[in-house]
Amino acid sequence: MTTEPFKNVLLLPQTNQLLGLYTIIRNKNTSRPDFIFYADRIIRLLVEEGLNHLPVEPQTVVTETNEKFEGVSFQGKICGVSIVRAGESMEQGVRDCCRSVRIGKILIQRDEETALPKLFYEKLPDDIANRYVFLLDPMLATGGSAIMATDVLIKRGVKPERIYFLNLICSKEGIDKYHAAFPEVTIVTGALDKGLDENKYLIPGLGDFGDRYYCI
Amino acid sequence: MSIMPMDDDYPISTISSQESSTNDLDTDSIDTTNTSESSLTESVESKYMPPWTKPYIIGIGGASGSGKTSVAAKIVSSINVPWTVLISLDNFYNPLSPEERQLAFNNNFDFDDPAAIDLDLAYECLLNLKEGRKTVIPKYNFVEHNRVPDQSITIYAASVIVIEGIYGLFDRRLLDLMDLKIYVDADLDVCLARRLTRDIISRGRDLEGCLISWQKFVRPNTIKYVRQTLHNADVIIPSTGDNTVAVNLLITHIKTKLELKSKQHLKELIHLGLSDTRLINEIPVVHQLNKGHQIRSLKTMLLNKNLSRADFIFYFDRIASILLSKVLDHMSYTSKVSIETQNGHQLADQILCRFDQITAVNIIPSGDCFMHSLKKTIPNISVSKILIQSDSKTGEPQLHCEYLAPNISQFKQVYLMESQIITGTSIIMAIRVLLDHDVKIENITIVLYMATEVGIKRILNAFGDKINIFVAHLVSNKDIHDGNKQWALKRFVDVKYFGC
Repeated sequence: MTTEPFKNVLLLPQTNQLLGLYTIIRNKNTSRPDFIFYADRIIRLLVEEGLNHLPVEPQTVVTETNEKFEGVSFQGKICGVSIVRAGESMEQGVRDCCRSVRIGKILIQRDEETALPKLFYEKLPDDIANRYVFLLDPMLATGGSAIMATDVLIKRGVKPERIYFLNLICSKEGIDKYHAAFPEVTIVTGALDKGLDENKYLIPGLGDFGDRYYCI
Repeated sequence: MSIMPMDDDYPISTISSQESSTNDLDTDSIDTTNTSESSLTESVESKYMPPWTKPYIIGIGGASGSGKTSVAAKIVSSINVPWTVLISLDNFYNPLSPEERQLAFNNNFDFDDPAAIDLDLAYECLLNLKEGRKTVIPKYNFVEHNRVPDQSITIYAASVIVIEGIYGLFDRRLLDLMDLKIYVDADLDVCLARRLTRDIISRGRDLEGCLISWQKFVRPNTIKYVRQTLHNADVIIPSTGDNTVAVNLLITHIKTKLELKSKQHLKELIHLGLSDTRLINEIPVVHQLNKGHQIRSLKTMLLNKNLSRADFIFYFDRIASILLSKVLDHMSYTSKVSIETQNGHQLADQILCRFDQITAVNIIPSGDCFMHSLKKTIPNISVSKILIQSDSKTGEPQLHCEYLAPNISQFKQVYLMESQIITGTSIIMAIRVLLDHDVKIENITIVLYMATEVGIKRILNAFGDKINIFVAHLVSNKDIHDGNKQWALKRFVDVKYFGC
């Protein structure tokens, strides 16, 4: 099953600034403090982009001059769900925009016997079915764990059109595979890489995001 | 028709220490966007004349000891505006050669001859000030009889200049620059008494030496030259007894002149941009945030007077970050690098953003609302500060002080930040300050949270569409005319952000 190319994909505008930020985080010689700072900046842009697509309702407020202003208000009702461990790096970016947002976690690891991703742990808000969900995972390579995580969300009653999958880098292969399973989920990304190497790493990618953000 | 009440009067805030730039300004291997090195600033045809372009110059002359200095001091303190500068012609004494210095130490050098003063330099300095340029005047040491090395006085943006000295009304070139010429007159014996007191107490001379120089130089020169300058004066002030009435009359006259100058300044400012009928959305240098849901809801929240200050600060910082990111998206100053990724992929020609080529200038206090988001976006950015306040009665913007990065003209991008503009007058003055410090006009970018259309058009008209303006919440003339948008004419953003 093939998907319509780039339907439900929001690619951030490829401005000089954004490309410059990616140059920094892709460079293997970038120090960890810089990697974190500039990755966080991209994450913030992804979150703001995602938020801009959530619905609002009309709201009238009273201004400093006691005149009424007819504006809109954000409905709230969102939650973040990170795929442990690399996805957790994106939680702060969501918190920076929505201070008291609920954040769920899903741990998926590769099963050594079957070589397939396996769900180890999930902890999600009880009312997640009523919420918009920002699924957080920095890299979309093969899409294996993202598909499994999305499956968990849908089984908990989340509507697929209410899921926004935020990642920093993805590949066409990954998008196709993911959208074959969940065509209605919107992917918000900042870079589209050429493809995958024999180890299923993104080319050119940036290495292991979790390692670079947390360890190296 | 309601056009802009000038209500930009905010209290003076303390100025936080200025960050010095640690940026590496090496410009090797960078594609610059500069076209030519020559005369870019000169080509700026600014329609805006700040008050320091035509300062009001008062010259005061009179014999040594006649009381010029105290008249000058009374005038300066009565005008009571911080951008008044008092210059003493004593600063312009010529440095002495070793032989002359020896003569001086023996009280044998004629300091009271017009030739002892560098009137050419005095003219040059006064002319610079008259034309609004930054000026450096020397400092003279009367004990050493020499200019104090490395200790000159920099004067910039004075709108009233008082210049006093025995030969204050002597040189025709200086006289031509003056708006008011005052001669302070006193009997010579009164002058001698005052002079003795001053020279012995504050200049470390002995009585005998003072008397010698009085007889030999001061008295004859006063009779020969100084007295003649009386004919150049507009006013002669007696200085033997109580001259309060005369001085007060003068001060009233000066105040009237300054008020007129203020009104003219304000009138010119207000007039800018009023005849510009272009659609604001079609002016290419004006950039607005997109109309996305999140942006609209942030703007709505920030307008809500019931929003708590904590929330206001949080949401302002959010939208400010979005705005700054949009500004950076337009960054033209980049270079290319080759990098290797952790997986060993070589990438050539990758864009490298020169964040180190950007500096910010905050207009105090309103521009400081951007400080948090600015530091979150470019952590080590150098930030200059300018304090411009509007007079609470007239609304005339007045430059109080500027703390600019010393290398500000070398940055490729200068972001001038203010959270809200209503009349646009302080931004216009701030731009003028930057241009006076050799910043190229095309390197200036203005970042605003809220702005009125007329304010933006004033900026564009003053500087001819050469400056990019980024604004998050723009309120059109039509919206204000149609009513219900008077909040755009009330300064509330920085008031609420800082809580005062």
